[in-house]
Amino acid sequence: MGALRFILRRLAFSVALILGVSFILFALINAIGNPIQILLAETPGVSEDMIAALSKFYGVDGNFIDRYLSWLWAVVRFDFGTSIVYNQPVGDLLWVYGLETFKIQLPAILLSTLVATAAGVIAAMRQHGWADFSIVSSAMLGHSLPGFLVGILLILIFSYWLGILPSYGAYSTRNLLMGSVVVDGLWHMVLPVAMLTVFNTATLTLLMRSSLVDVLRQDYITAAWASGLPARRVVLHHALRNAFIPQLTYLGTLFGLMLGTAPVTETVFTWPGLGALYIAAIQQLDYPVIMGETMIITVMLVLATLLTDIAYVAIDPRIRLA
Amino acid sequence: MAGQLAPLLAVEGLKVHFHTRDGVVRAVDGVDFQVAPGQTLGIVGESGSGKTVSSLALLRLAPPPARIVAGRVLFEGEDLLRQSDKRLAQIRGRRMAMIFQNPATSLNPILSIGQQLTEILRWHTGVSRQAALDRAAELLALVGISDPAARLRQYPHELSGGMKQRVGIARALLCEPALLLADEPTTALDVTIQAQILDLLAELRQRLAMSMVLVTHDMGVVARMADRITVMYAGRVCETADAATIFNAPQHPYTRALLQSMPRIDHSYSGARRVLPSIAGRPPDLLHAPPGCRFHDRCPEAAPECRRVMPREHLLAPGHSVSCLRRGSPGEDAP
Amino acid sequence: MDADLVPAASAETTPPRRPPSGAWRQSWHRFRRNRAGMIGLFLVVLVVLTAIIGPFAAPYDPNDNSAMLRGAANAAPSARNWLGTDRNGYDVLSRAIYGAPTALAVGLGAMLIASLIGVLVGGVAGYIGGFTDEALMRGAEFFMIVPVFVVILAVVRLFGIIVVGTALERIPNLNLMTIILLLGLFSWPQIARMTRAEFLRLRHAEFVEAARCIGTTRREILFRHILPNALPPLIVLVALGIGGAILAEAMVSFLGFGDPKSISWGQMLFFNYQALKVAPWACLVPGAAIFITVLGFNLLADGLTDAFNPRLRA
Repeated sequence: MGALRFILRRLAFSVALILGVSFILFALINAIGNPIQILLAETPGVSEDMIAALSKFYGVDGNFIDRYLSWLWAVVRFDFGTSIVYNQPVGDLLWVYGLETFKIQLPAILLSTLVATAAGVIAAMRQHGWADFSIVSSAMLGHSLPGFLVGILLILIFSYWLGILPSYGAYSTRNLLMGSVVVDGLWHMVLPVAMLTVFNTATLTLLMRSSLVDVLRQDYITAAWASGLPARRVVLHHALRNAFIPQLTYLGTLFGLMLGTAPVTETVFTWPGLGALYIAAIQQLDYPVIMGETMIITVMLVLATLLTDIAYVAIDPRIRLA
Repeated sequence: MAGQLAPLLAVEGLKVHFHTRDGVVRAVDGVDFQVAPGQTLGIVGESGSGKTVSSLALLRLAPPPARIVAGRVLFEGEDLLRQSDKRLAQIRGRRMAMIFQNPATSLNPILSIGQQLTEILRWHTGVSRQAALDRAAELLALVGISDPAARLRQYPHELSGGMKQRVGIARALLCEPALLLADEPTTALDVTIQAQILDLLAELRQRLAMSMVLVTHDMGVVARMADRITVMYAGRVCETADAATIFNAPQHPYTRALLQSMPRIDHSYSGARRVLPSIAGRPPDLLHAPPGCRFHDRCPEAAPECRRVMPREHLLAPGHSVSCLRRGSPGEDAP
Repeated sequence: MDADLVPAASAETTPPRRPPSGAWRQSWHRFRRNRAGMIGLFLVVLVVLTAIIGPFAAPYDPNDNSAMLRGAANAAPSARNWLGTDRNGYDVLSRAIYGAPTALAVGLGAMLIASLIGVLVGGVAGYIGGFTDEALMRGAEFFMIVPVFVVILAVVRLFGIIVVGTALERIPNLNLMTIILLLGLFSWPQIARMTRAEFLRLRHAEFVEAARCIGTTRREILFRHILPNALPPLIVLVALGIGGAILAEAMVSFLGFGDPKSISWGQMLFFNYQALKVAPWACLVPGAAIFITVLGFNLLADGLTDAFNPRLRA
């Protein structure tokens, strides 16, 4: 029961947070003034009436509170308005670009978690040995390498020097690889996913190893050894389960970090995802897109945090039964 | 030496050293003791005497940077220090089991009691899950836990300290081991619970004809539970004898000082004897262990040679051995 | 010790004991033995020296694009330009050197702001507790969950537009300062949380109670007992934060939202990314500079963590 209340409180807080972000952003954008006005102010042949009509169409006229509330009302019904630049429903844009972003981010997180867990276990079990030292050193380096540098290096090596992997776009503009959209798409995914995986794996490995080292020191692990259980069982069933709990929060943070730095990732590889959309929208003051996308990203982050909180409750009986 | 029966457990020349960044700490430096079948051996010493490390070393559980550098641990005909990991895993929990000092941390917090107990049973004996649950419930009842079936579904944090320790004992007894290692089993418990747990242990060893090694710093505990007592100091054994002899006629200066420093309810500490006797000084720094007897700088009877020569254990009387130059022990290098 | 027992023995067998040094000196000794930490310190000192001395020693003026007039833009590293030239004919080495002070200004500036806000908020929350505590911590959480980077981009751009035509526009490096301010504003929550945790922990610590018993005033307790203990984790967070801020500014600039008039590593990447195939050094050098700096601070933070908390490294 305490757990349920905890989750409900988190939910309420999350909603308040989303509303807060939307309000602040709306206010900021409002401070610039009418974007239509700004965009078309110097254009010859554009009359005040046209600006007024366009403003009304795009919902940028009227007073602040009215606009905010009508925008909010629309959003709740999943209507994010129309993009000023692309002249398409923002929702459609978010969906299409969003898919591309997740195409590279989800595999990156899955891959990183797997590799990091394995590396962390090896390093923790062979503490102070050669394997531990090399894993920790590589992880420290990978953790400090800026993402874009990794991307640049990957492009230099695999695209320019070796010429075996593409360096931009999600698909080839002509001649799909092996004539298949799927294969061509996967081929293009390799480098961006690799770039994302490096940092994630490095950071997760360091955390996993340190968490595991702490857990392995505990009395209940010694007790498990003393009961004659095999190494596989002690490490995987007893130690890893306990060590993984603190990783859960970090996975949520990591997801947020990846999504938040999508603009960088997608600029390096000219990948048509949410990040690229966002940059274009900011530069061209496509304010429905800016609002819509910021909201969606915030909502996703909030959801990720909420999910990790729920996972915590599910896994740790101490919290569940408190 | 311990009697007519061949010992169940015979530890010879055990040395456990910690290789730290600052040097080698010789925590256990040549320790011998035996346990006969059905007997309880109490190992006493202050913190830092190496008693816990010794008991962990028996099952090769001492964590790195500890390393067992010498010795033999003969148990049921095998030297445990020379067995493969696989063989050791078969002995642990099945022939020799351990209970730990801190009940709060010796149970896995995210698994239920039932899961933790049945897992061990199923690993060692391969029985079905239901059979394992039944046996676990049986053992919980044996250690005095009420409503065992309900307890099996509970998690460690839902139990009291005393109950957790009982669970720990039940866990150790699952496969009816021949030898139980108890490392300060009552130190972390309330005094009233301590008495209950000790009673339980006494009853169990009787019922199951089990041998026990009881590691503790509490003389009261060994007085009650131990048949024989080994006194350790700074990684070495000072004296070994049966309990009555240790308490009534101790020979080693450390043992004597230890007993003298115990507050006694039948002594008066007012008037002339106002001060509680204690042993002056501090235990030696095991990083830079002195070459001679470890106790020499605090020993009221120390002679100049005690500083240079490490005494070797020798038999003073049947079943009573002492390691002290002043009691006639030869030096370590002597033939 | 036991002078009456065996005096000669003690003198020979026990090594002479120095008086125990203070907590800071001890931490420094532990730190010195941590190889990773020392490497980190070395790298950080290297960057700091480059920032201070570099501009006097740089071979070229960073805005000297005479190479372009010679047709030597995008030139590979040579005896003339040790690290080559970039798209505009600038000497890559010189620009990289001039990027160091910018980076440090960003890192230190952002963390200064973050520390001031964070320690204040965290301290108040931890010391006063109650509703204030709850409210402040919710505020901190807000700043932590919000997609920081994305919001910074939006705010920088929008702020840039708002400022056009106003008096603010004439402030030099306004864009850079905005970025520093924003980075600081988004970095305070972690520091606040840590400060609050330390205050809570120490408030109830026994030695604080003891101090109170002998009549130490609240202010004395705060400054002499609680703050010095809360300092080590703060230092670690600041070290990590500096690296993070430098990286964040580099990313913001790389996307084109940085200050075009400032010389920063991120700006170099932004200018030269299009010419990656032709002049990779123009991107690799600033990238490597960022890497070394961030690595240095991360290793330093790691070493400091170990030095301040001597857990038995079993």
